Amino acid sequence: MDFSEAAERISRKFSQKGTEVDPKKIESKLRRLVNEFGVQPSEAERSVTNELAKEFNLPAMGTAGGKSSGTADRKKIADMTPGEWVTIEGKIVALSAPVSPAIAQSGIIADDTGGIRFVAWAKSNAPVMTEGSWYRIESAVVDEFKGISSLKIHSGTTVKESGTDGALIPDTVPIGNLQKGIGCIRAKVIQEWDASHERMLQSGLLGDETGTIKFVIWKEGGKEKLTVGSVYNIFYALVDEFNSRLSLNLNTATILQDDSDIQVSGGDTTVRGAIVHIAPGSGLIKRCPVEGCNRAISRQNYCPVHEIQPKFIYDLRIKGWLDTGEKTHNLLLQRDVVESLTGITLASAQEIAENNPLGMDEVFLRMRDTVLGRYVTCHGREIDNRLLANTCERLTFESGEHAALLNRAGGAL
Amino acid sequence: MSTNPRDVGRREGVFEREPARRVFAAELRECRYQFKDGEDEKSPTFVLLPTGERCNRIFLVGTLTEKQRQGDQNIFYRGRVVDPSGTFYVMAGSYQPEAMQQLAKIDTPAFVAVVGKPNLYQTPDGAFLVSVRVESITVVDKGTRDLWVLDTAARTLDRIDMFSTGTKPDVVKAKEQYPNIDVTVFRKTAYDALAQIRI
Repeated sequence: MDFSEAAERISRKFSQKGTEVDPKKIESKLRRLVNEFGVQPSEAERSVTNELAKEFNLPAMGTAGGKSSGTADRKKIADMTPGEWVTIEGKIVALSAPVSPAIAQSGIIADDTGGIRFVAWAKSNAPVMTEGSWYRIESAVVDEFKGISSLKIHSGTTVKESGTDGALIPDTVPIGNLQKGIGCIRAKVIQEWDASHERMLQSGLLGDETGTIKFVIWKEGGKEKLTVGSVYNIFYALVDEFNSRLSLNLNTATILQDDSDIQVSGGDTTVRGAIVHIAPGSGLIKRCPVEGCNRAISRQNYCPVHEIQPKFIYDLRIKGWLDTGEKTHNLLLQRDVVESLTGITLASAQEIAENNPLGMDEVFLRMRDTVLGRYVTCHGREIDNRLLANTCERLTFESGEHAALLNRAGGAL
Repeated sequence: MSTNPRDVGRREGVFEREPARRVFAAELRECRYQFKDGEDEKSPTFVLLPTGERCNRIFLVGTLTEKQRQGDQNIFYRGRVVDPSGTFYVMAGSYQPEAMQQLAKIDTPAFVAVVGKPNLYQTPDGAFLVSVRVESITVVDKGTRDLWVLDTAARTLDRIDMFSTGTKPDVVKAKEQYPNIDVTVFRKTAYDALAQIRI
């Protein structure tokens, strides 16, 4: 399909406003929407125009296609503020199980400007809405709970299915700009963590060029795990706050895998300091053998998710604190780094464990005595004050540094 | 706005481990002021260094020259760890069983790396004593000791620089608490410590 004409048209629109946009760039955005996401060409043109308008801080100018004959008082979701009575038109992009019998339906409704959580009270007698359909909702109320806006559908609200039938491709925002509520991001899965709850399907860390955020997927029919290292477009995730950090709940989200790659921020950190603590759970550990699990399991071979796993896999790791004297970094070393730092290989660690009355403790103690209190330089990726080191090497005495310090100390005597 | 955690205070619910400060025995010995940050029972206790840094935890490397088992019911170990400038008094009791066992196992003399919490005591005759409650103690080699001397000298000089120019709250507090201490003596401490390293 040829997009050059549409791209040319958009580019002209912007040059009229005094902004030059490369038609090639526009064309690739259009192609992506149409070919990958199955968006109507006219809708794609409008969406790209709006995206660029936002990027260059121009008022919305997408007009071709898409725009319906909305009434004057209709609000865009992004413009709503708590306390308002509003009329909107949007698509139900997610439905979640009601948490109380007083609620008939809850989920997320979105238009081309954004998404918002909604609650339809049982008393409202509103028609049952289906996921993927568009509705016009008149006289609903926007309110706020714990800093998160939501739309309340009550008995005075009119809900009508609207004729609109369009794909909705929301704009993604950088992780650094996410706010509580509903968020759409394009991000890479950079870590997967041990599940801390049996209802949890997966938790870990997502990152893009601007930052990282914790995510969680709860067990639910049809939910699948994300793959570490892959990039996803994540639309309409719930952004919550926990311990004054934001986190993403992906159960409501529409998730599309993306073939491109992103350079995640916080990629390269070097910390030089002393290892001041080796935490329990370091040394020789057992991991769950179930495909895709790999959790550290207890000594009794109990995996929090897959129960007893006698055919566990041995691994090495060191968890501890690396201290510069100014700041303490949570340090995590994986097997290859542990082997080169301690000189104890996985095979020899297993041998030590098998031939000693203390078993795995013996490996822990030997590793502790080899690295605790030592100066090292670690290179790696630091996320949320946790340093995942790719290399960790002993610091060596530099006579140049010694001489420089002698001069510095003696200089003022 | 500053992003220094010292300035913004502790965030609710977010745990931040106190860094282990590097200080020579000669400076730690001069401490006379200990305070709590916050009203909570669990708020951390800090010893204020004369050079104007609070420390809740320190990291030191030196020679364990003596150790002694004390107490009948509550057994604890005391030790002396010597650096180029003086002596640290370390102790580990039954509330730190792991540290106590580590200390019990070490034969003197040995180079040791110690992570611990400094505490200020006043003896009945009015003298002040700073002792370090050991969190961990491991045997290390001379190379690690030399690295620690470099590190600690650099940190001490940094603090002296901050002290002379500084208006940092802890520096102001140190000037109040230690009006008779001339911090430039610690520059000499650092120099002498560095000079003892032979290459």
